[in-house]
Amino acid sequence: MTSSAVQSPAPQPGNPLTRWFRADTLDGVRRQRAILGYLFILPTIIGLLVFIVGPMVGSFGLSFYKWNVFRPPEFIGLANFERLASDARVFVSFKNTFILVAMTVVMLEALALALALSVYRLANRALATFFRTAYFLPVLLSGAAVAVTLGYLFNKDFGVINYYLGLLGVPKIPWLTSSDVVLFSIALTTVWRNLGFTFIIYLGGLSSMPGEVLEAAEVDGATGLQKFLKITLPLLSPTILFAVVTDVIKMLQFFDEPFIMTRGGPGDSSRTVVMMMYESGFGNLEFGYASAIALVLFSVIMIVTGFQFYLSRRWVFYR
Amino acid sequence: MASNKISRRELLKLAAASAAAVGTGFIPSIKIFASPAGQETITLRFQENAENYGAIVEAFREKFPNVNIEFVNVTGVDHAEIASKILSQLAAGQPVNIGYAATEATQLYAGEGLAMPLTERAVADQAELAEYFADVSPTLVEGMMYEGDLYQLPRDFNAAHIYLNKTLLEEAGLEVPGETWTKDDFLEYAKALTGIGGGDSFGYGWTNRLWGSWTPWFFVNDTNLLTEERAPGGEAIWNTFYADEPLAEGRGGGWRWPAPQANNPAMVEALEFVVSLTEQGLTPEVQIGGGDTLDGFFVSNKLGMTVAGGFWAGALVAKGMEKGSFEVQYWPEWKSQRHQFGTGGAWILNGAGGEDEAWEFVKFNTATEIMLMIPWMANASTTPVRRSINTPEYWGQTGLENGHVFYDALDKRPDTAPIPAPVFSIEMTNIYTRFTSLATSREMTPKDALDGMQAELEALYARS
Repeated sequence: MTSSAVQSPAPQPGNPLTRWFRADTLDGVRRQRAILGYLFILPTIIGLLVFIVGPMVGSFGLSFYKWNVFRPPEFIGLANFERLASDARVFVSFKNTFILVAMTVVMLEALALALALSVYRLANRALATFFRTAYFLPVLLSGAAVAVTLGYLFNKDFGVINYYLGLLGVPKIPWLTSSDVVLFSIALTTVWRNLGFTFIIYLGGLSSMPGEVLEAAEVDGATGLQKFLKITLPLLSPTILFAVVTDVIKMLQFFDEPFIMTRGGPGDSSRTVVMMMYESGFGNLEFGYASAIALVLFSVIMIVTGFQFYLSRRWVFYR
Repeated sequence: MASNKISRRELLKLAAASAAAVGTGFIPSIKIFASPAGQETITLRFQENAENYGAIVEAFREKFPNVNIEFVNVTGVDHAEIASKILSQLAAGQPVNIGYAATEATQLYAGEGLAMPLTERAVADQAELAEYFADVSPTLVEGMMYEGDLYQLPRDFNAAHIYLNKTLLEEAGLEVPGETWTKDDFLEYAKALTGIGGGDSFGYGWTNRLWGSWTPWFFVNDTNLLTEERAPGGEAIWNTFYADEPLAEGRGGGWRWPAPQANNPAMVEALEFVVSLTEQGLTPEVQIGGGDTLDGFFVSNKLGMTVAGGFWAGALVAKGMEKGSFEVQYWPEWKSQRHQFGTGGAWILNGAGGEDEAWEFVKFNTATEIMLMIPWMANASTTPVRRSINTPEYWGQTGLENGHVFYDALDKRPDTAPIPAPVFSIEMTNIYTRFTSLATSREMTPKDALDGMQAELEALYARS
């Protein structure tokens, strides 16, 4: 009479580690697949650790030190943060940054959505492809190159913009040398350069919307505006959330355009937080203070992003 | 048998621990190169590029085949930006052995102990260097000294002069002004050169920075942003190389700028004058930076006059301006005709090893034929420190007839002095340009802007 009991597999050769890895069982196969997966993402993780997480942690630590490169770092506790709390210029830079974010994000979302809707509705596919490409091209340009070029266009005396405005009888506008206008000029530059990216996001969102819902609304007699407000926007709300969150995070780190176009001037009227960081670290050789500014900016970005997600519960509709 | 899968949670914990380990190692320390004792070949990192110095390095290696020179190209809009990049490399543990610094960074490197003093080496090699120093104005040498020691051998310099567009001069019916022209003459020229050349020309343009900008105006108004005095010392250099040179009399061990005086009446008067040029429409809007914007306006005959040094002559020709279509003159006289300059030269990293070899390379570069191997030195895109190179033929390759004013600003005007650039000059420059921009954009009156500038400079001095 033969035994019907399941027999244990014969022990595999090799040390426990290789036996564990090569186990010819369901768990073993899952283990191998998991390890293979982690190996594939390992280069990315190493890159993240070395180039992003590591420096972030280093910067966090440096914010408690005073260091000017020439002498060893000196631990000063919270002194950098105390100084930051009373530094009027840092507050001005945060104010400028928030104003730039508000102007830029509002213009970006409105324009990008309007363009995406227009292109989405184009019957001519070739034309749609052309406009998709044309709107996205500025995204591919270097921020510095765009800032230099727009700086010339915005020049009060020799710039093309004032030239054509002059033909319409508009007096020369000091786009980059008046504190009343300079943030708007920088916002325009940033919107022009980044519009294509947000546009593509909205176009993707519109393309993934279920057509039958809109058709049903049309059958029920909904007007264009009603369809847009009651159906398109709610269905697009997750995309809008993504676009707004990513644009706000990006714009809170404004640097290229104000640095190249105005160097933060006149005075501090276009100086952003990242410019203050740059000036403190690489200009004044106060790397500890610059790190403290960076840490505060990071915290602000986290809080703003968290607040956006909290608010999204009220207006974002997930299918 | 228990499963030993690696869970996502465990992997994330491991990753976080690794990040912390990596992060704590990121509080950097300055790495000092190990002294290459006993090594046959030494490699020196030199802040330049192969395009400018490739041929020179090859020539040097024929004499010193055991010395490799590795180029470290550092670019920037202005000297302060370049200094920031050099210091960033230092912070990252990748310093240069031989750097190049202009006046803006000379005292920064010397004062912080980064640069090696060269006085003893220069005196020890006086036979080799006597000809060089005899050919270089003591004004420039003093500009490369700090607290009694020499830190750099000057290579090139630039004093601020007025460049004039001869096409617009001709259209306005004007001649190139004489050497002793005054501020009032300048104002008349600026008015005459505005609104011609197609109707949209400006008489005078400048950019907001430390060298040039409105600095020459307060120099000729007999004042300065900071108080001035000479540091003691320097006798070793003066007695060894300039014992019989009248221009060396009274010189010390470098410049000191002990206190700010941004809002004294003469400074306010100077800033009010330049701001008035904008108010009268004689000057286009003033931008911060190195002056690239003005190049295009001058070349396209939209700008009658601007501030520049010898560096602009070759650059204008390279940008397509016809030789002979521009000229240069001394700065207009106001209460004085005192000129401002900046100079630059190579410095050697202190304590990094290879100092002897680096010194040989620095000395090698003082020879006339070696200097002229640098392309932009040969084509008159700077002012060479060697008097013997500054000939009519040298400046004639750009069409300038008044090229002599560049070196005469040193030889014939002993009161010519360097731009104020103490150890913390980068931060000082930020304050200077920031408040200047508030005045030129009319956001503040010149007096209020300079009061603000003075307050911030005083705070800077207090914490430095």
